[in-house]
Parts: sequence; C-alpha cells; structure tokens
Amino acid sequence: MTEELDLMGQDSDGSSEEVVLTPAELIERLEQAWMNEKFAPELLESKSEIVECVMEQLEHMIEKFFPHVLEKEKTRPEGEPSSLSPEEFAFAKEYMASTDTYLKNVALKHMPPNLQKVDLLRSVPKPDLDSYVFLRVRERQENILVEPETDEQRDYVIDLEEGSQHLIRYKTIAPLVASGAVQLI
Amino acid sequence: MDAAEVEFLAEKELVTIIPNFSLDKIYLIGGDLGPFNPGLPVEVPLWLAINLKQRQKCRLLPPEWMDVEKLEKMRDHERKEETFTPMPSPYYMELTKLLLNHASDNIPKADEIRTLVKDMWDTRIAKLRVSADSFVRQQEAHAKLDNLTLMEINTSGAFLTRALDHMYKLRTNLQPSESAQSQDF
Repeated sequence: MTEELDLMGQDSDGSSEEVVLTPAELIERLEQAWMNEKFAPELLESKSEIVECVMEQLEHMIEKFFPHVLEKEKTRPEGEPSSLSPEEFAFAKEYMASTDTYLKNVALKHMPPNLQKVDLLRSVPKPDLDSYVFLRVRERQENILVEPETDEQRDYVIDLEEGSQHLIRYKTIAPLVASGAVQLI
Repeated sequence: MDAAEVEFLAEKELVTIIPNFSLDKIYLIGGDLGPFNPGLPVEVPLWLAINLKQRQKCRLLPPEWMDVEKLEKMRDHERKEETFTPMPSPYYMELTKLLLNHASDNIPKADEIRTLVKDMWDTRIAKLRVSADSFVRQQEAHAKLDNLTLMEINTSGAFLTRALDHMYKLRTNLQPSESAQSQDF
C-alpha cells in the first residue's frame, strides 16, 4: 500500500488546508524544483517540505549572492512566500557576519580609517536575471513579451504552446517558473 | 547539468523485461512494480532493468522503435528535413547507450542500431550548431526548440547560454542608460 504524504498548503484566505501528495508526486515535485533551481539565475521560492535534497544547490547560490538575498528578505511584503526557509535564513545571516569579520580582520583594519567600510550590497554581484534559460511549457500561455536587445528591433509577443520548448531570457518568464506554468531544462 | 544527471532522469523511462525469478508486487516511492513471474513480460523503470540484467535475473526486450528499418526511415527523414523531427523517445540516446552496453545480446542487429542512432544524433547536433549560429548572428531574443531532447540541449546548452549572457551584457552596455552598472571610486 502506498503511503500518502500530507503537506500543509495555504488557500487564498490564508487558512491552512491539507494538500495530499503521493510519494511519487512528491518525487516528481522534487525533481521539478531541483531542475528549476539549477537553471534559474536567481533564488526561487523555498519549498521547505522538499528542500532537504536541494540543500547543496541552494547553499552555493546563497553563498554567491548573500547580501542581496538578505536584502530581499528584509524588504519582503507580509504574506508573500519566503525565498528562504528559517534554517537557510539563519545560515545566510551567519555567513554574512562571518564574511564581515573575515574581511575586517584580513584587510580592512589595515586600511586608512576612511576606507574601512565595505558595502557588501554594492560589491557582491547581483543575480543576473537577464541570463538565457531553456524551458518546457506545462500550461499554455499567451502574449509573452519578447524584448530584443537592439534598438532597431521592435518588442513582439509570442504564445507558448503546451509541451513546446524555448530558449529565452529569464526575466520575462520568471513569474511562470514560480507558478509552475513552465519547467526549466 | 552533467550528462550523468540527464541519464539519471532517463532511467525513469519504462522498459519491458522478462524476469527469471518470482517476486510479489513491490511498493516503491516512485510507484508500484510487479509482480514478477518467470517468463512473463513486465514493465519496469530502466534503472531497475539494467540492475536486474547485470545480476542475470532477466532478459531485456528492446523498445518497439529500436528496429533497423524503423530507425533507417527516421534517420533519412531527419537528414531530409531542415528542422528537428520528433524522436521516438525523449531519451532515445540514453536508452540506446544503456541498452546496447548492458543487453546487446537481447537486441537484434545491435551494431547497426548503434550506428543508425549515432547518425541521427550527429545530424541533429549539426543542425543545432547551425541554428545556434544563426540565432546569434541575427541577434534573436527567443528561439523555439520543440523536438529537441534534453541530452541534445544539455550538450551545448551551458556554453550557449553563457555566451548569450555575455553578448547581451556587451550589447546593452553600448547604449548609455542608468541601469548600466559601473564602479565608483
């Protein structure tokens, strides 16, 4: 007998509702989350119930973009799902504190007094949302805007057919990854 | 993504085996399998089929499309068309490699099959190179790649996306705008 796993989901009025997934569906979701996270240029919404196996990918990305991740978390509006689970948030804060101390002890305290501050938010590179990604469409979408880079080309719209595959800049389709309408490949 | 990771995904594909042992239905996270009875065909995921074959517990049946005449037709069709034709399986390359490496004794005309599949692969990769080239030359912002398998996308994908990212950055920095980031001293 296959066991079914209960996941806590939220419906639109904020009350909790149980979403029942079979273990097979959970593995499917885990794979999808793994692939999306692997190919996305930014940190995606935390799926804490399936995150254990994606730990390594996330650690690497958090380490790469840590001041921006913390900034985003600070300015996140109430009710929007977090990009970080509580453990990840703690990790990011500690990493930031450690980097701060390290830079101070190794270099900054030897510099002239007016140069001893470093703005991590400005010096660490931001996630590049203009990166190109490959995707497969799971739910048909209409009128997706494509912005070509040169001035001579006009913006144009395309429709995304279910099952089709595309190469496009991440920025335009980022919300579709979050909603599950497309899968990064 | 490594080729090994793509192969990992391919190993979920179902293939038919003829076991030489008995076993009741087994309940795995990914789904139920079996029961297994000697001499009776049963469908299992590729990873299990290969494992059982290595332990000499079964015979493998080649998939219906793994047949010299059918593959010849597909190869000729692929050569004739300028675009990518649909492949018999989204994991045709991985299936061919794993089945021919571990179970060539169960597959008639294994060598011819290997050559035919390799021909199809080469033709498609050549087309991919040509279309990537014209994508870059014409500075397109979007490409549709239906009928390409994950392994083909993965072969040139990482390089292609990184190159496109760099080119995008170079291009957008040609036009003066406030969003261009530069270092302040």
